[in-house]
Amino acid sequence: MKARVIAYVILAIYTVVSVYPFAWMVSAAFKNSTDVFAGGQLIPAHPTLSTFARTWGELDFVRYFGNSLVVTAATTAGVLVVYSLAGYAFAVLRFPGRRLLYAGFLALLFVPGITVLLPVVILQQQLGLLGTRLGIILPFVNGTAPLSILLLTNGFRSVPSELRESARCDGASEFRTFLSIYLPASRPALVTVALLTAVPTWNEYVLTRVSLNDPALFTLPLGLQSLTSTTAPQYNIVMAASLIVVVPVVVLFVLLQRYFVNGLVGAVKG
Amino acid sequence: MRRRAREALTGYAFLLPALALFAVLGVYTIVYGLLLSFARWNGFTAHWSWVGIGNYLDLLYRDAAQAPQVRSAAINTAVIMVGIPLLTVVAGLPLALALNRITRLRTALRTIFFLPYVTAGVAVFYAWSYVLQPEGSVNWLLQTLGLGTLAQPQGFLGNPTTALPTLIVVQAWSAIPVAMLLYLAGLQAIDPEVLDAARVDGASGVRTVTAVIWPLLRPITAAVIMLNLRDALQGFQLFLVVTNGGPGGHTNVLGLQTYNLAFFSDLRPTLGLSSALGWMLFVVALVLAGINVRVLRSRT
Repeated sequence: MKARVIAYVILAIYTVVSVYPFAWMVSAAFKNSTDVFAGGQLIPAHPTLSTFARTWGELDFVRYFGNSLVVTAATTAGVLVVYSLAGYAFAVLRFPGRRLLYAGFLALLFVPGITVLLPVVILQQQLGLLGTRLGIILPFVNGTAPLSILLLTNGFRSVPSELRESARCDGASEFRTFLSIYLPASRPALVTVALLTAVPTWNEYVLTRVSLNDPALFTLPLGLQSLTSTTAPQYNIVMAASLIVVVPVVVLFVLLQRYFVNGLVGAVKG
Repeated sequence: MRRRAREALTGYAFLLPALALFAVLGVYTIVYGLLLSFARWNGFTAHWSWVGIGNYLDLLYRDAAQAPQVRSAAINTAVIMVGIPLLTVVAGLPLALALNRITRLRTALRTIFFLPYVTAGVAVFYAWSYVLQPEGSVNWLLQTLGLGTLAQPQGFLGNPTTALPTLIVVQAWSAIPVAMLLYLAGLQAIDPEVLDAARVDGASGVRTVTAVIWPLLRPITAAVIMLNLRDALQGFQLFLVVTNGGPGGHTNVLGLQTYNLAFFSDLRPTLGLSSALGWMLFVVALVLAGINVRVLRSRT
């Protein structure tokens, strides 16, 4: 009994800690410039939607949102296509060098992003992709390789091999078997990989910042950063913009959280 | 025989897109970065000038401008590599124990606790900057609670002594959810009979945790520490966005130093230095990974 009360107290305190910056983010987003400057007060004295309207319309966040959607969708689609094919090869097919190649992909996990960041940007330039969307999408796709291959290979391995044998007897090609038997049977793994790709891509800032120069292509994090480059950022606008970045992620997470949880536990165990 | 050859060819065909990306963005960039670490280049001239291991020596001790910066960034990195994993374990385990103890609200609370992890990025970092600024809500809250002496008139990120500890707390705040989740999975895998036996033997709650649960969860603690060591070593996004190393270099870390040498040094030939520093980080990451494998093997 006493232990349970202590448990609830700990959890209540940490709930406050978890939501603290979000609460103030929402609060500031609904304040006008005078109230946000005055500070204090979680509940806005004169709640207003005009900060949002201004951020979304005048400050181009509708465009940044669109750009973020395009980059995130393209990256996620690329990851699913490229690494489900690779995962199928590693899980199902037999060929010389299979173990070595698999280990090679997983070893990428140990290369710090910062070590290859500069060469990636130089490569973008050499290929004429610096400043383009494709120039950031390709490294994003490659960056998920270790985790995606790990999760998808494990996913395909758990499909019973009798299914493949019977499809072969029916005369189905390897690609057909992959497409109509293995992909549908591994939906949970595919959703997990999609989520673990989409969320970090949506939030990505480091490579995007040094790759994209044209404000017309900016993603949300870059648009957000451009708001604070002035000496005295207006925090009601910055927080309204932050809320625009955060809300889609929260919605996605709340709807699909069991896939997140499975993915994280699976990634650490593997 | 023919069937096996066909299957092998199909395998390579399925791997082709992944291998193409791997070759260009993985192998090529890694080799390119390694070569560049032995050269001097500003990114604009046509040729590199080879300097052998000169960049490494400059970073370690030789260059009077670079070496002290690297040293202080290394010290800061070492501090966060202790602070972040420690805080994550110290907060993650009690939260998992508490969540495991309750029945109602468990799913809802887990969702709420996870928000800092899934949203980690520029947006949330700005929210922290906002609440931590001099007129921000943290100072206001401390004053309202009568703890005004703890308030920071320069802001928690503006004061050189509080900036780094504050960033450690913020980074740990994003990392605690994963630790909590892994501990929770570990707790649920413990055989209830073991805990019953401890209770029958008259062990108190605290004693059960220290003598039974903590040793059983050791592999998970090792995994949590390794994950956070890696992130503390390599991650610098929070530092880039919130302080960019300031005030006065007090929150500069090695990842950030590498980034700024690569992209924000104008025409100075620091690209080789940046690559060399990136490679030093790589070596440390490999050593950590090696230790990780040994620790996990010896415990399981």
